[in-house]
Amino acid sequence: MSASTIILIVNIALAVVLAVALTPLFVWWERRISGFIQDRSGPNRCHIGPFRLGGIIQSFADMLKLVFKEDFTPSHIKYKFFFTIAPAIVFFCSFLTFAVIPFSDVLVIDGQKHIMQAIPNELGIMWFLAFAGLSVYGIILGGYSSGSKYGLLGSIRASAQVISYEAAMALAIISMLISYGSIHLTDIVNAQAGTYFGVIPMWGIFIQPLAAIIFIVCAFAEANRAPFDLAEGESEIVAGYHTEYSAMKFGLFQVGEYSAMSASSAIIVTLFFGGYQLPWLDTQAIQSNINYIIVAIIILLPLKVYFLTKWMKKNNKAIGLDKSRQKETKILTIAFWSIAFFIVASLVAFLITGLGSNGVNIATAILQIGTFLVKFFMMAFVYIWVRWTVLRFRYDQLQMLGWKVLIPLALLNIVITAIFVVVRGS
Amino acid sequence: MGIKVVPRYGKSFKDKLYLPAIAGGMKTTFRHFVKNFKDIDNLKTMAYPEVQPTDLNERYRGVHRLTKHENNTEKCVACFMCATACPADCIFIEAEERFDGYDEKRPKEFKIDLLECVFCGYCVEACPCDAIRMDTGIFSFTSSKREDFVLDKKALMANERSKDLNNG
Repeated sequence: MSASTIILIVNIALAVVLAVALTPLFVWWERRISGFIQDRSGPNRCHIGPFRLGGIIQSFADMLKLVFKEDFTPSHIKYKFFFTIAPAIVFFCSFLTFAVIPFSDVLVIDGQKHIMQAIPNELGIMWFLAFAGLSVYGIILGGYSSGSKYGLLGSIRASAQVISYEAAMALAIISMLISYGSIHLTDIVNAQAGTYFGVIPMWGIFIQPLAAIIFIVCAFAEANRAPFDLAEGESEIVAGYHTEYSAMKFGLFQVGEYSAMSASSAIIVTLFFGGYQLPWLDTQAIQSNINYIIVAIIILLPLKVYFLTKWMKKNNKAIGLDKSRQKETKILTIAFWSIAFFIVASLVAFLITGLGSNGVNIATAILQIGTFLVKFFMMAFVYIWVRWTVLRFRYDQLQMLGWKVLIPLALLNIVITAIFVVVRGS
Repeated sequence: MGIKVVPRYGKSFKDKLYLPAIAGGMKTTFRHFVKNFKDIDNLKTMAYPEVQPTDLNERYRGVHRLTKHENNTEKCVACFMCATACPADCIFIEAEERFDGYDEKRPKEFKIDLLECVFCGYCVEACPCDAIRMDTGIFSFTSSKREDFVLDKKALMANERSKDLNNG
């Protein structure tokens, strides 16, 4: 197998994991974080043997339940084909948006350049816009073919919302494209290297704060998440567009929703928070100082594991005679320490033997993927955090915000950016 | 009397921006999250099956019990007042003659169907002999069979006053 095939497989695997396989994790986050925000505990009882892993087993149990439920299609549905294909469209489009997210800088192996994307093309942000807009077709189709008024109302709301926010989102992106001068996401991220005055990282949010706010608000609306989750609403339209769905068809809608959330947090990170750029260290700086960075990781990793295990020992406990959680803590502590030891040992070996030029490039890529993942998970946390803080909009308020506030602001921002670029002459 | 002018909020520029208010809300929720994440003892909830509530008070209506004389025989005289007062018709009494000198009549069988019972406490109010009470503090009553929810005289007499309440 050639290097390019392996890199392609790694990229596709990364995209699949981030877009789809993280759904149980995000469901778990959603429930535990909302619990902690509301001073309650969230699901923490489900376990396999002594392993509870903080309650993540619960989401796997829920997933299993959905898979094994009866796949029921109501008898009044006329177009069974559309009814069946709708969740697949939602799922597929949210999943495909991940294909253009660059996980690290262009990887050079034996002089050959590899773009670190699941689908190595240069369409970049256009691909994202296309598929983010397309996923609403699945919602429309699902709601329409359901043959119920709740489904139809939910899908009408979702489509009107996406149409009105798509415009503001695209306008915000245009101002970003004017200042970056490229639609290719790797170029956009590389333009965010470096710093202002040596302190503030040159991220999109500091270049274009207004565009960042507009884009983030629109991305929330686009992913149909709170405070813009008008497509669902227990008190008004039952479950909205997926009222008539059950079993894994419903599960696919759910997965599609969470992969839309992952995709938008990835694109927000890429456009506005420096993507894979480690703050204050661009790709060249990492490559030339790789030994210092490895030493820093060797020092920091055991410290992190120490604090993690200490936190786990303090908080993983049960009241009463049940000792399984102490047992779990013990096993996990040993597991974490052995992983840390293994990583430190291999890093020390790399330090002693030295990395070749390919090795340096791969190490840089891994470091940048790690940076991207950290930022990505932080953004996903923000998504969940916002959902459990901000109140829902009423429907007219939502349209008001979209058409009367965000679109004029985005247009104004384009004018300001264009004037600035023309005056500076770059 | 003057007219009280209620101030309307939301007209200032800061309010119209929305973002400062959202930031304030997010600060609050994040504080709660961090507090609970650092130490789960800060959670306001209790781990229910292991920890039982201790704040039951005198007025709490739990599962019924039949009170007893000193020699552990029932105080009930089978007067059917409770069964008459019961709005859910969940009390079934079968009377018999009593010979031990306390009273002339006693229940041979005294059944309460907890699935029918609405826990209104009218039976306790109606009883002239203070023979039925609802101060056991039992609020959770589970079983896998319907028949188990029909408590007979033996079960009702085995129930005791809750330990959380003072002796009265």
